[in-house]
Amino acid sequence: MGVATASLFTLAIIVAGAALTALLEPRLYGKKRERGPTAVSPRQDVVLFNTDRWLYPVAPIVALLGVALASVVIPFGPKLIGADLGIGAFYIIVVVDFVVLGLALGGWGANTPHAVEVYYRITAQLVAYVVPLGLAYIGAIMMARSLSTVEIVEAQSGLWFIVLQPIGFALYVITALMQAYRAPFLEPFARSIDHGVLSVYGGGKALLWRISLAGVLFIVAAMGAVLYLGGWQGPLLPGPLWMVIKTFAMMIFLIWLGGRVRPLSVAEMLALSWKILIPIGMVNVLIVGAMILLGVGPS
Amino acid sequence: MILSAYAVVGLVTLLVFGLALLVVAFHHPGAKELQAPPAWKPYHFGYPVYALIFLSFDMEMIFMYPWAVVFADLGLTAFLDMFVFLAILAGGIVYAWTMGGLEWE
Repeated sequence: MGVATASLFTLAIIVAGAALTALLEPRLYGKKRERGPTAVSPRQDVVLFNTDRWLYPVAPIVALLGVALASVVIPFGPKLIGADLGIGAFYIIVVVDFVVLGLALGGWGANTPHAVEVYYRITAQLVAYVVPLGLAYIGAIMMARSLSTVEIVEAQSGLWFIVLQPIGFALYVITALMQAYRAPFLEPFARSIDHGVLSVYGGGKALLWRISLAGVLFIVAAMGAVLYLGGWQGPLLPGPLWMVIKTFAMMIFLIWLGGRVRPLSVAEMLALSWKILIPIGMVNVLIVGAMILLGVGPS
Repeated sequence: MILSAYAVVGLVTLLVFGLALLVVAFHHPGAKELQAPPAWKPYHFGYPVYALIFLSFDMEMIFMYPWAVVFADLGLTAFLDMFVFLAILAGGIVYAWTMGGLEWE
């Protein structure tokens, strides 16, 4: 693909992915369940005083930029990818964090008590998820011997990594929920603080938030399919269709799993991450290393 | 090759700004005024030590990516190297934990 085609393809992927997610996700929630990041309403605009002139309007664009840049390296086929960057898996961890940056800027810039509270909570979320998420990626990277997302998928042509590394997959599922701010880790958007930063945005900016917060769930689920479920590979059906099926299966699984657990506070999330997930992640790296030395995995 | 790959990243950035401008330009429903008290009040920032430990650990993570890529080719040497590295990191966590660093304040 040429540069222009690839860029438009990337943008189409994220907009279509976010739209499908936004349609599907509310159907998975019961009536009682907190709506979390889906609580933003673009139907009415909001006039707010005392906002920061630059930070407040730029925040949703930064978040959208994060998910759009992340979708550059999501592969739907060996050639069907925005750009097969050599550092794809590392790159995606970095750019998805732009969503946290956007939420922090928006919370700070909106200048209301609940929005500024989001600034602190979302930063705590970042402190909790980045290290265990990295450890969950490392296992897959070690077996694939590459950071390129296409090569990670191709390394799973024999056996998916979910079979070889069940601990890594469990680690990814929990940190993916943190990264997507879905239940039980939706404290930044809790009802108790009036959905935080989402209630001070309306109209076009709220629509941008809707796209980026649905998009982040889409990206996280797609990356789960790439790292552990064999990406576009599968029998009978064409590759891109497999990738879409796996992405949405992963998404439904994440939402279902999140609904089984009561929402965790920020303090409990930090404790879970640093006292349980990170030690398990380190042990998992050693287990995967020993498996490779013993000759298990793709050759 | 590399240049055209990153040109995609650059062009997507520009397109996102274009898309955002389009959305904001064409979608402006009726507005309501929002009354909110000023944000000038004390907040509870309960994780200063977590944040400091995170800084160091996030930096250590950078070393693991190149190591993970070449691991299978280097074999046992790489494994022992990382074993020592992880042991030091685990020592750091145990130290922070026993010193009461992994607590919400």
